[in-house]
Amino acid sequence: SGELYCSLPNPRNVRFESINMKNVLHWSAPEGTGDGVFYKVKYAVYGVGKWIRKPECRNINRTWCDLSSETSDYEEQYYASVKAFLNGTCSDWMETTRFNPLTDTKIDPPMVSVSSTDRSISIILTAPEKWKRSPEEESISLLQVYPGLQYNVSVLNKKTKKRWFFSISNNTLVVPWLEPGTAYCVSAQIHVTTPVLDSGFSK
Amino acid sequence: GSCRVSMSMAEIRAGFTAIKANIQSRDPIRTLSILSHPHSLHKLKPSDRCCITHQLFTFYVDKVFKHCRTEDSFVNRKISSIANSFLSASRKLGQCREQNNCVCGEESTEKFKQILANYEGLNVTSAAMKSLGELDILLDWMEKSR
Repeated sequence: SGELYCSLPNPRNVRFESINMKNVLHWSAPEGTGDGVFYKVKYAVYGVGKWIRKPECRNINRTWCDLSSETSDYEEQYYASVKAFLNGTCSDWMETTRFNPLTDTKIDPPMVSVSSTDRSISIILTAPEKWKRSPEEESISLLQVYPGLQYNVSVLNKKTKKRWFFSISNNTLVVPWLEPGTAYCVSAQIHVTTPVLDSGFSK
Repeated sequence: GSCRVSMSMAEIRAGFTAIKANIQSRDPIRTLSILSHPHSLHKLKPSDRCCITHQLFTFYVDKVFKHCRTEDSFVNRKISSIANSFLSASRKLGQCREQNNCVCGEESTEKFKQILANYEGLNVTSAAMKSLGELDILLDWMEKSR
């Protein structure tokens, strides 16, 4: 179909927002446009010669599109692009920068489970899983994706406010010589050495 | 034999991350990759990794960094710092090859030929800038196969 004359302002701030490799394309509506704007989305694998339309994000009025499925191979890099339509006119295609799922994703904190004896705490940490298409699909831990994944663990004595930090590569930690009858707060963070990626600390 | 070369991947990675957006924005060609298409580095056999790593480091030193001058002094400084790291690593890898610990199989030879063909398919500056913009493809592959 012939392209319309495109005089509509462009969608703005077109970018991927990624958490645990759930890769969602986001953008802002063109400046000065209210309701009634519709969008379509396409994406491309970097180095491969064609743009691919995303049918589920054709003629949508929301300003995001989940491209996790299309960008799930983290050995590849990607571009995505958005075009806006309003009252018979359109905008240009507006592209993201090159998206590398491996380095451009954010990582959730690890799951922390704690058990204790009267003088020690045992901590077991579980790294989040990579996004997957369906619950039936095989789970991939981010530990498998990032060989250099480590855990930073903080243990706070709530009475004395004294805090210890530990950096470990395996997922278990025993903290001995604690004061009986004292409350301790355990929090953990994921740290990937290269590429450098840090999660927040767990609650 | 095996060939272990010490180099600061974190330093190279940090240097590249600082200039990645700048460098990649200078490469308008979405449909061609120097390193990753049509065949991905990730498909190479482990036995071929040492050879292709040495060939790629030599490729970056000889054909890429010297053609990547920009008008931005910050970017230029980062590029030369990465180049120095690559130069010392490629020398060490070269010693490995001399001691025959780093044999070149058919697959890596074929893959490197294809990389050179991709590179020579563009004018020098575009090819060099595109190659530099793909440094994370090389680093990702190296870190994954450590």
